[in-house]
Amino acid sequence: MRLIARFAQENENNFEIIDVFDIEIKKTKIDKNNPVTSTLTNKYPAAIWMERKIRDEFGINFEGCVDTRPLVKHERFPKNIYPMRKNFQKIDIEFGEFEPYEYEEVKGEGVFYVPVGPIHAGIIEPGHFQFSQAGEDMLHLEVRHFYKYRSIEKMCENKKPLEIKKIIERISGNESIAYQIAFFNILAKSAGIELNESFKNKSAILLEMERIIHHLTDLGFIPNDAGFAPALAFMSRLSEDARRTLAKVTGHRFGFGAINEEMKYDFSEIFKFINYLEEKINFFENWIIDIPSLWDRFDTTGGLSHEKAQRYGVVGVAARSSGVAIDTRNNQWYKNRGFEIQVRQKGEVSDRFLLRIAEIKNSIQIIRNCKTDSNEKIEFKEFNDGEFHSFVESSIGELFMYIKLKDGVIDRFYVRDPSHINWQAFHTAIYKDIIADFPLINKSFDLSYAGNDL
Amino acid sequence: MLRFWKERFKTGIVTENPEIDKELEEIKKNLKDKVKKLFAGSLAIRMVDSGSCNACEAECNALSNPYYDLERLGIHFVASPRHADILLVSGVMTANMYHHVWDAYNQVPSPKWVITLGDCAKDLGVFEKTYAIKGVDLPVDYHIPGCPPTPKDIMQGLIEFLKKIEINKEK
Repeated sequence: MRLIARFAQENENNFEIIDVFDIEIKKTKIDKNNPVTSTLTNKYPAAIWMERKIRDEFGINFEGCVDTRPLVKHERFPKNIYPMRKNFQKIDIEFGEFEPYEYEEVKGEGVFYVPVGPIHAGIIEPGHFQFSQAGEDMLHLEVRHFYKYRSIEKMCENKKPLEIKKIIERISGNESIAYQIAFFNILAKSAGIELNESFKNKSAILLEMERIIHHLTDLGFIPNDAGFAPALAFMSRLSEDARRTLAKVTGHRFGFGAINEEMKYDFSEIFKFINYLEEKINFFENWIIDIPSLWDRFDTTGGLSHEKAQRYGVVGVAARSSGVAIDTRNNQWYKNRGFEIQVRQKGEVSDRFLLRIAEIKNSIQIIRNCKTDSNEKIEFKEFNDGEFHSFVESSIGELFMYIKLKDGVIDRFYVRDPSHINWQAFHTAIYKDIIADFPLINKSFDLSYAGNDL
Repeated sequence: MLRFWKERFKTGIVTENPEIDKELEEIKKNLKDKVKKLFAGSLAIRMVDSGSCNACEAECNALSNPYYDLERLGIHFVASPRHADILLVSGVMTANMYHHVWDAYNQVPSPKWVITLGDCAKDLGVFEKTYAIKGVDLPVDYHIPGCPPTPKDIMQGLIEFLKKIEINKEK
C-alpha cells in the first residue's frame, strides 16, 4: 500500500484524520478534548511532514512519532496557536520569542555544517538546506521548507467553490494547469455532471504543454549546473517559444485561467509548435549524448534506489526514473491517445534527464492525437455538499486534491503537491555524492517550493 | 559537435534577429542607455522571493534567455544582497519569510532601491490576508504590476523606474 496523503479536518464534535492510500481511504475520529492518535511514520516515513504539519496546525499529537519539531511554525511563529482549527479566525499574529530550530546533524570529529538558504544565490524560491559535511562528502542533508507558507488551505475555507478558482491557479506557477484540472474534476463531481470529451481533450493538450515547458526548462538547467551553458541557451530559447505559444493560444504565458467552462481556443499554434519542437528535441538528444564530460557528471550521481522510492511513496518523474511505474495518466483514455508510460531503472541524474526527453516526445504524440474540433460548454448549476477528491499528473508528479463542501461553502480544502512527498525522499539521493553535485541533483528532481509550502 | 556548429550558424544570434519585434528592440536600447547613464553601465539586482507562486521567478529567469539576454544591457542578477543596487521583491511576504527579507534589505549597501514585482507584492493580488501573511512593508521605490509581469513588462518597468530616479537626481 502506498501512502498518498494524511491530513486532518475539524468536525463539529471531533477531529478527523484522513489517510489516503492508493487502494483505500481510511478515516479516524479523534476526541477534541484529548487529541491524540497513533503515528504512521514507522511504516511510511513520508508521513513525518504530514504529521508534523497536523500537529502545528491542529494541535493533534501522534504517539510514537520520533520527530516532534515544529514544521510550518518557524522560529518566531507563536507556538501556542492552532490556526487551522475552526475557532481560530485571527488574520494578524504577533511574532513570538525566537526559538532556535534543532537541525538533524551528524556529529563527529571534523564534521562541519553548511547551511544554505532560505534566500539562495540564484533566482529561486526560498527554502533551507543544512548539510553535514566531512570534507566534500555529504553525510546528511536536512531539507527545511515552509518559508512560503501562505496558509492557502485556510484561505479557501468558507468560500463558494468558484470563488477560489483564482487562488487555485496561483498555488504553484509551474503546475497551474494541473491544479486547475484537479479543481474542475472536483467541481464536476460535486455538480454531478460528466466532463465532456471536448473539455478532456483540450485540457489534456494544455496539461501536456505545461509539462513540456517544465521539462524543457529543466533540460537546460541540469547541464548548466554541470557547467555546460550552451544547453541552457538552447533550451531556454525553446521553453520561451513554448511559453509564447501557450500565451498565443490561451492569452497567458503560464495558463492562468486557461481551464474554464468554454475553452474556445484555436490550437493550431500548438500543433505548429510541436512539429518544430520535435525536430529540435531530436537534435538536442543527438547533440547532448555526444558530450562525454557531461555524462561523467550525470551517471552515478544522485541515485534514488527503487526500494527508497517505494518506501517513501515517491511520485512523478523521480519515481518513474527509479523504476516505479506510477502515472495517473496510465489509463485507457490516455493510452488511446498514444500515452506510453516512461520508466527508467537506476534513478540517477542521467535517468531523470533522459526520462524528461522521453516524456516530451510522448507528450508531442499525445497532443497530436487529441481532437479539438468540437466546442461543448460545461455548465455547473449547483454544487452538492460532500467530500470529493481528484488526481492529476502534473509536470512534477501525481497531484492530489480534496475538497469538502458543507452548506454550499468549502469546509476543508487540502492539496498534496507531488513535491510534498518527493522532498522528503530527496535527502536519500545524496549520500554517495559530494556537495558540488548537489545543484545537479536538486535540479534533476526539480520540485516545487510553493506547492509544497502552500 | 559538428552538427551543433551547423545548427548554431543556421540560428545566428537570436537577439539580433530582424524578425524580433520592434517594440522590444526599442525597450532594449532605452534600457541600455539609462543603465549606462545612471549606473555607469552596470546595474546589479538581487531578487528575493517572499512567497510567490514561482511564476515571477520563472519570468525573471526568462530575462536571461537568448531572446531578452538582459546581461548584455548591463543588468545582472547577483548572488548576494551585498553586491546589489536594487532589491527586487516578489510574493506576498509570508510571516516565515518576513525577517529574512528584512535581513536581505539591511544587507544591501546604500544607496539602495526596492522594486516590488507582481501583484502579490502589492495588495496581495488574488490572495487574501491570513495569519501566515504579513505583506510587504519595505520602503518601496517602484512597483511593476502583472500576474506575473511578462519579461517585456519587467524591462519596461525597469525603464520607468530608472526614469523616476533620473528625475529625482536632477532635482
